[in-house]
Amino acid sequence: MDKKKIYSNWFLVPAMTIFIVMFLVPMVISLFFSLTVWNFRDYTFVGLDNFKMFLTEASLNIGIKNTLIYAILTCLLKVVLAFFIANFLTSKIKTKNILRSVIFFPNLVSTIAVGITFAALMHPSKGLLNATLGVLGIGPINWLGDPGLALYSVIGTDVWKGVGVATVIYIAGIQAIDRTYYEAAAIDGASKWQQLKAITFPLCRPAMNSIIILAFVGGMRSFDLIWSMTGGGPGFATDVVASIVYKQYGAGFYGLSTAGNVIMFIMIGVLAFPLQKFLLSKEVDG
Amino acid sequence: MKSKKLLGLLMGSALVVSTFTGCGNSGGSEQGASAQASQTGDKVQPADTETSQAEKVTLTMLIDTDITLKGFQEVAKLAEEKLGISVEIETRPGGADGDTLVKTRLASGDMADICLYNSGALLSALNPAEYFLDLSSQDWIDRLDETYRKTVSIDGATYGVPYSSSQAGAILYSKPLYEELGLKVPNTWDEFIANCDVIKAAGKTAIVGTFADSWTAQVLYLGDHYNVLAGDPTFPEKFEAGEAKYATNSAALRSWEKLVQTSPYYNSDYLATTYDDGCDIMANAEAGHWVMLTQALSNIYELYGDKVNDIGVFGIPGDTDTGLTAWMPSSFYVNKNSDKVEDVLRFLEFYTTEEALDAYTSAVLPDGPYCIKNYQIPENGYDAVKEDMQAYFDAGKTSVALEFQTAVKGPNCPAICQEAVLGQKSALDYANAYDADCLKQAVQLGLNWK
Amino acid sequence: MKNEKKLYLIGDIVGLLGALIIFIIPFGFMFINSLKERREANLLNMNWPETLQWVNYKEVFTANNSIVLTAFKNSILLTLGAVVVLIMVCSMAGYVLQRRRDKLCGFLNALVLSGLMVPPAILPTIWMMQRLGIYKTLWGMILIEVALQIPFTIMLYRGFMNAIPVELEEAGYIDGCTRVSLFTQIVFPLLKPVTATVVILNAATIFNDFTNPLYFLPGSKNATVQLTLYNFMGQYSSSYNLLFADVIIITLPMLVLFIFFNKRIVAGMVAGAVKG
Repeated sequence: MDKKKIYSNWFLVPAMTIFIVMFLVPMVISLFFSLTVWNFRDYTFVGLDNFKMFLTEASLNIGIKNTLIYAILTCLLKVVLAFFIANFLTSKIKTKNILRSVIFFPNLVSTIAVGITFAALMHPSKGLLNATLGVLGIGPINWLGDPGLALYSVIGTDVWKGVGVATVIYIAGIQAIDRTYYEAAAIDGASKWQQLKAITFPLCRPAMNSIIILAFVGGMRSFDLIWSMTGGGPGFATDVVASIVYKQYGAGFYGLSTAGNVIMFIMIGVLAFPLQKFLLSKEVDG
Repeated sequence: MKSKKLLGLLMGSALVVSTFTGCGNSGGSEQGASAQASQTGDKVQPADTETSQAEKVTLTMLIDTDITLKGFQEVAKLAEEKLGISVEIETRPGGADGDTLVKTRLASGDMADICLYNSGALLSALNPAEYFLDLSSQDWIDRLDETYRKTVSIDGATYGVPYSSSQAGAILYSKPLYEELGLKVPNTWDEFIANCDVIKAAGKTAIVGTFADSWTAQVLYLGDHYNVLAGDPTFPEKFEAGEAKYATNSAALRSWEKLVQTSPYYNSDYLATTYDDGCDIMANAEAGHWVMLTQALSNIYELYGDKVNDIGVFGIPGDTDTGLTAWMPSSFYVNKNSDKVEDVLRFLEFYTTEEALDAYTSAVLPDGPYCIKNYQIPENGYDAVKEDMQAYFDAGKTSVALEFQTAVKGPNCPAICQEAVLGQKSALDYANAYDADCLKQAVQLGLNWK
Repeated sequence: MKNEKKLYLIGDIVGLLGALIIFIIPFGFMFINSLKERREANLLNMNWPETLQWVNYKEVFTANNSIVLTAFKNSILLTLGAVVVLIMVCSMAGYVLQRRRDKLCGFLNALVLSGLMVPPAILPTIWMMQRLGIYKTLWGMILIEVALQIPFTIMLYRGFMNAIPVELEEAGYIDGCTRVSLFTQIVFPLLKPVTATVVILNAATIFNDFTNPLYFLPGSKNATVQLTLYNFMGQYSSSYNLLFADVIIITLPMLVLFIFFNKRIVAGMVAGAVKG
């Protein structure tokens, strides 16, 4: 069968055209402007100055560190938590359908709305979270006001919102596993925990890989949740590259802002592509 | 010029790609979809033409949601009766989101007829000569107060018309609390800190921090400018020329030291407390001080009525004496490329008449002197404005804030001030950070720093 | 066996309790506070409102010349349009990208993956839209949303194609189907489960998009629902009661969509995202 004949390239044209015209070309144009001081009307070429500034200035490069923490932690937490939740929700419990719905729903709520709500729940003196902990004799904890803690509070909220999608992908993966493996293992006297380790975990690999990539890349780009909860503050404690790019843009530093975009692109490229290669190679081995 | 050519080339090649696909759509369903969409597009349009055909003129104005509309609406009502001009308001977010939006709309040639935006340094950052109409040839422009006019003028061209009264960046204090603890209005910074200690010892909040709205963190630093000038009158010029820095000029560094010094006196939840909360707290005498713009008086008045007169105002104290740092109001700017420029000018002319100002004051009382010559603060003004603030003006102990004297204002000022209030590093560190932030702005403005 | 049943019952109870605390309470919090008076809502607690202020909802609808209604119309058209286009273009593209394994497709795959990673460049995009005459139009905004969601959607479709045996197409080809009818008659119907996933995930993303409409679809006539949150967040009008009422109102369409598609989400994911 002639693959080229059946699978015509024409099928690719509409999607690729929209993607190239509306996304790729503007992006390439912006690459050039990352090397300039630019105010829309005219520009001065400054070489790599913008990048130097981004990497050396404390208020800018804190974003690089925070972005990595944010992406790695949200990714890790989602991958691990969702795995156990998904196993729980594919067991024989009766309420699994309701629970699946409940856990997935936050993903459909606007990020800004979630941010506003959690900022209110985490209010240091009035918030419900501290009120509850206060009853237990803990706190008060300054969730979003303590520069050392704020980023982790946002990460927690991100996981709350996003764990549902990861769970659903896992559930799909687990349901695709042939039941006979478990039956055989049960006959051999394997415990539930052993089954989880020896059957579910390795056979969920592909699902897990998708989750890792999606969550990691999502975490690297994440912005609106941070913006609506802390605005990058206190000070610059929760600034990530995406929020800094946005702030520089707002300040009118278009060259610097696009340079930040490029740095983000490089970071994601350098980390995500190899990560995916690595994960895929593992998949084949397993 | 080169940049335009390059862009044109890139855009052109993209266009080729898109026309190419236009022919290439093999799936019939594709075309169906685009036809449908253009239909919905058509439906949206008639609304635009309707308004322009009507006899009355409708102007569009872009305004942020943070600003009080009550006074403006009174004037607009009058303008509709008298001039047949109605103003349709487009709201935008305030803060950084708003800056981004304004700049994007200017750059893309899509500004409303009138744009409401800050005066002073933030105006210069918009590159106003490119987008806004020079009003200096209008015969009514002389009505504007000179100090104000300077802050909306660049290279001899005047761009702005004041939206509201001027105000001050100062310290609001609770009169009942001062009375209860037997405190006196401080004249020096040390006396102020001593007062704070007394209030703190009495178990009350000495200074209310409302840094959930991060812009409020900068008022102390910005409002200290009178004292900077008292220490070094040439600081603004040297600063704009790139010769003086906050970190190396002792008079200027003092502002950052003060900011760090206030650190122990705030409410414990100062990073989660909003500007709105601040109004509630001050009106109910739950805190001694609030370092704030005097516009808060109007908000408190709106919410609590006459309780506003429980609040007094003093300037941010210097080391030996106290003066007041004044703020110029936001301004209307006229979109150069609007097709209704004449109507906009008629509207703005009307806005600066006594009749319009009376209408404005009937709804909102002033937070400071007006920026229109010879227009007096009304009898029923707030005590804090009529008595406390006026005293500084009468004694000539006022100056405008730095952002109205130079074009350079670091965009990260709120975040750096917020950090400084946390007080984890030294004042010098924050001053250095702010200098670095200003450098970026200077480079963008094409100033030759370093 | 009895023990196991008990264990599952405990699991049920623990699961429900956990869900109640972690997932239901935040929504309850929004709802309760949306029914309070301004000062009461500013206390941010979970106490039942002194009097139920249903009028808050009315106020949200009428505020600012009923901008919420306009915003609803815009957001629904935008979401609907973008999702329809996405389904059409991405199902075709995902189908070919999975079946053909030549260099061009490898390259396009990498290109698309990059789209998943890079944030959009705002100003050049606006220029592009102006050149095409689609700036500030709903149609233009639809194209932007489509462009941004293409990578993820293609990924889903391509993954799902893995699970569809190629024999069907071969049979169809031998029976003399054209390329187009092969896809529309045989393949596309088989993609139904993943299409359901595409619908719900993309609809949520686009309906909840805040930043992109802010840039690419300015003007009060063009407001989308997320932007209405700003009406109740300003410094002079920040009122949690109205804010939460607005949040509830703009979440309802997603709830409806969710109830409608709930059962199908997992089905579409099977082998879908799984084989990224």
